[in-house]
Amino acid sequence: MIATLASVTLRGLLNRRRTLLLALFGVLIVIIAALSRLSDPSDADALEFTGRLLADFGLAVLLPLVAVIVGTAAIGSELEDGTIIYLLAKPIPRATIVAVKLVVAWLLVAALVAPAVLLAGLVGTSGQADLGVANAVAIAVAGLEYTAVFLALSLLTSRALVVGLAYVVIWEGVIGGLFEGTRIISIRQHALAIADALGGEGAVTAELAAGSALIVGGVITALALVIAVRRLERVELRGETG
Amino acid sequence: MSTLALRGVSRWYGNVVAVNDVSFEVGAGITGLLGPNGAGKTTLLHMMAGFLAPSAGEVRLDHSPTWRRPAIYRLVGFVPEREAVHPFLNGRQFVLASARLQGLDDAEGAAERAIEMVDLRESAGRAIGGYSKGMRQRIKVAAALVHDPPVLILDEPFNGMDPRQRLHMMDLLRRMAAEGRTILFSSHILEEVERLSDRVLVVVAGRLAASGDFRRIRRLMTDRPHRFTVRSSDDRALARELLEHAEVEAVELRDGTLTVRTGDYGALTRAIAPAARRAGASLLELRPADESLESVFSYLVRR
Repeated sequence: MIATLASVTLRGLLNRRRTLLLALFGVLIVIIAALSRLSDPSDADALEFTGRLLADFGLAVLLPLVAVIVGTAAIGSELEDGTIIYLLAKPIPRATIVAVKLVVAWLLVAALVAPAVLLAGLVGTSGQADLGVANAVAIAVAGLEYTAVFLALSLLTSRALVVGLAYVVIWEGVIGGLFEGTRIISIRQHALAIADALGGEGAVTAELAAGSALIVGGVITALALVIAVRRLERVELRGETG
Repeated sequence: MSTLALRGVSRWYGNVVAVNDVSFEVGAGITGLLGPNGAGKTTLLHMMAGFLAPSAGEVRLDHSPTWRRPAIYRLVGFVPEREAVHPFLNGRQFVLASARLQGLDDAEGAAERAIEMVDLRESAGRAIGGYSKGMRQRIKVAAALVHDPPVLILDEPFNGMDPRQRLHMMDLLRRMAAEGRTILFSSHILEEVERLSDRVLVVVAGRLAASGDFRRIRRLMTDRPHRFTVRSSDDRALARELLEHAEVEAVELRDGTLTVRTGDYGALTRAIAPAARRAGASLLELRPADESLESVFSYLVRR
């Protein structure tokens, strides 16, 4: 039952052209890292540039972009085209549906972003694994939080993609930069804190301690899950006509 | 045998009332839910299948409410009106996924039997995206009955089917009903309901307008005043001639259009040709003026 749910979810996500386009963004970060080597920088410069590339493009743009598109589609696309009815017409606890779809979406997000970031880290620093590994792990961990939040969002609004993008750009991009206090509930800052703690060798600077990032991140993920399950239990399907 | 019961059920969206204080019970056999588009049929079916919460009243399946109870789907098979089916699956995968999500022990066997039942074995390997409307309906039915549920709810199951597929589906539903199942289907087409159902529920504008034996409802529907518009080479002479017939209740000639009202549908259609001959007029057109289902239903509601 779970395997079927997971495979239908995964096929649904992979069937969207949008998801496949996201893989191209991963290629882009690797290309940028490779191009940075052309100017033959010193090791310190290369580390600094790659550190900034992974943080400012990998963690700040690539991860939330992929997570918002995949996360809001995991249940949202079926809600939108009405095929969710075939899933809801089954005697499956709604919590199981949310959990399986979250895990599938999360693994897909991690698979689309983490390897590209790892590779970009290797290419940009000519083979030093630490920076790439730290960021890839941070992406995998924070990816769960992002995916959970965007999945819950797709059950709260039919404009989840727009709202999600607005959250990433306005809250994490602008407000997080202006007001330090908001950083504790910024998923991007959670990711940075994890990358920093895993040994970004000074190339990653985080404002938060990894411990508090993990705790707050865990709470937000759990909260998103609870909201998603409650909403899915109460989803109303009207049909097209009266 | 399972029973679906509605008691005082209403449903509104904002300040639009879709279903208004409806009560009825559906038991074993085939029940047809008949009504014009927008009458609230889908809203009713979705409430019965637990996809919508009633705003007031109760929907119960064997004494338990259907809303927010996923466990009912062991007993209920539901065929939605919407065509959307996961386009990346082929027919067999779709039915098999349904069987597995139902947690059936022999999912493969159940899926094959269901596909066989709807006569789609040859096309089961093709992607649903390439199915015709009728095939899509049938694969949806296969998915809904894969777990052999005692209750089957179908929303406009005959939409988009050709006559042969329609007969086949009717046959299938009759067989399932003969096995003691509770089958409820909606339709806006009188003949489908007439041919298939033991019992009819007529819904108009969110209200239950009539329920019970089809013959009685059918009589109510035919024994009503009918209006025809007639075009002929000499409307005035034809009108004079028609007035001689007792079954013609009124004749109106306005803006070059002749309208005839009668209480007896059959008698008028038999009388009009001889009347035209006597009037020396050639009949060009004879058209029922109010044969839309809406007008039939609104007449029923006024009764």
